[in-house]
Amino acid sequence: MESVALNLAVAFVKILVILGIVLGVGAYLTWVERKVAAHIQRRPGPMVVGWHGLLQPLADGLKLITKEDLFPRYGNRFLYNLAIVLALVPATLVFAVIPFGPEFEVFGYKIKPILTDVNVALLLVFGLGSLAVYAVALAGWASNSKYPLIGSMRKAGIIISYEVAITFAVMGPIILAGTLSTYQIVVNQIEQKLWYVWIQPVAFVVYMFSLLAETGRVPFDIQEAEAELVTGFTVEYGGMKFGIFPLVEWYIEVLSLSAIAVVLFFGGWSPLNIPFLGFVDPLFFLGPLSPFVWFLLKVTALFLFILWLHWTLPRYRIDQITEMAWKIMLPLALANIVFTAVIAPLIWK
Amino acid sequence: MVKKLKVKPLSWLERILFLDFIKGLSVTIKHAFSKTITTHYPYEKLTPPKRFRGFFAHKVVDGNEPQPAYDEWVERFKIEVIPGRSRCVVCMLCKRACPVPQLFQIEGKKLENGKRVVSVFNMNLMLCTFCGFCVDACPVDCLYQTDIHETASFTRKDAILDLELLEKIGRDWQSRREEEPDRLWSDDVERNKLWYENNLKLKKSEKKGRHEW
Repeated sequence: MESVALNLAVAFVKILVILGIVLGVGAYLTWVERKVAAHIQRRPGPMVVGWHGLLQPLADGLKLITKEDLFPRYGNRFLYNLAIVLALVPATLVFAVIPFGPEFEVFGYKIKPILTDVNVALLLVFGLGSLAVYAVALAGWASNSKYPLIGSMRKAGIIISYEVAITFAVMGPIILAGTLSTYQIVVNQIEQKLWYVWIQPVAFVVYMFSLLAETGRVPFDIQEAEAELVTGFTVEYGGMKFGIFPLVEWYIEVLSLSAIAVVLFFGGWSPLNIPFLGFVDPLFFLGPLSPFVWFLLKVTALFLFILWLHWTLPRYRIDQITEMAWKIMLPLALANIVFTAVIAPLIWK
Repeated sequence: MVKKLKVKPLSWLERILFLDFIKGLSVTIKHAFSKTITTHYPYEKLTPPKRFRGFFAHKVVDGNEPQPAYDEWVERFKIEVIPGRSRCVVCMLCKRACPVPQLFQIEGKKLENGKRVVSVFNMNLMLCTFCGFCVDACPVDCLYQTDIHETASFTRKDAILDLELLEKIGRDWQSRREEEPDRLWSDDVERNKLWYENNLKLKKSEKKGRHEW
């Protein structure tokens, strides 16, 4: 009985910590994105609210919350509101299976810094990722307006195409690790002394493309192509209801998928890797905090890379996007699976 | 006829290694780590060039009037010349030149000594496009445009410049900038300094005959 209560308490604390970190960081990533975009275009970005605009996300939130709540005539109010929930919940749920660091002990209890170490974690991630299409489709449909509908149809087409590619892309690391559990994948990478990106570069590229496509980042932001569709499926939303969609799509989803990428390809919390030889840790002086810092650093680097891509590239046409998914990415991923299956026994030892 | 260019599509190697992506990314990262080129507007303000087309003003009588035009117009209309007040001779040429003439409201009045002087000169800037035709038309170099470009106001009434305001702006501008030589943008050293990072070099224009174009 005691252990059940204790487990519940631990899980509750973990949920609070993860939600707090994810939503807080998600809000602040808007500031990061604006700064990066601005400096790439040689502007300083937000500068007035707080030191270098550090309080800008708070000001934005305040503005969004105090805005009038508009609803399009003849729209479906239930689905309209349901879309917001469907967007936010699956995206944040993904963080339940992301391991932030190795197991550690507090007062004699072993605690894994992962909410639920289920043995089908990756299945869960991509199941929840596919749920995102419902939010977009419902938002477009319930708005009773043509731009959102076109935008949501495009997004649905993209997600369906790239779900296939991303699933086959992660097959490589899964074969090498021999498990679907995210925690175990990282542990196996550390045991095999190998980041899977060294022998899975093709899978990584396919994964990155699919990541950009699923989160609607440039060069796949066709569902909210400003010049054609205003902002795509969020056109009819106002105030904080509007704010949640980009927050979820551009920040929380990108963050969760980058974290999964780090887990799958960059060895999670492990320090710098020399293939088959071992790990070099320049941050050894941090002691037990070092793995957490490494995880954070890798996710940050990947996120900044995605921002960098976003503010560099133009966008593909809708037919080029789906063509690339089916004609290039999918065959590449399949070939990669065959390649991995051939060399996997060498890695397993 | 279709012009053939010697540009090849990307080779397979270039596509596989994402060379085009890397080219673009290297450009943006270079810009991301160089100095910003913006002016932080409410805290820093640029000085516009002397011949900027901003708010309107009246030059006042100070002995620098264009001669003999000024004396001729004064004689023709029997204008009372008051030092320190507007040079306007109520010739209405500005109104005639204006594409939206109703924005001008100009009246003169007769003094007791039989001479005339401008009494009302209102410009409704809600209608103005700042084209500067009125400035070109002014025969006595009275109406002209200043470097004041912050024209926003809280009421429509504030958008109307009356005679007193025009004279006030004129005195202010004359004290600040009238001595400054007229400059073209291309040889404006001060202005070019802002773009020093670009190493902006304007081409020397070759004189071409009309037939060469």
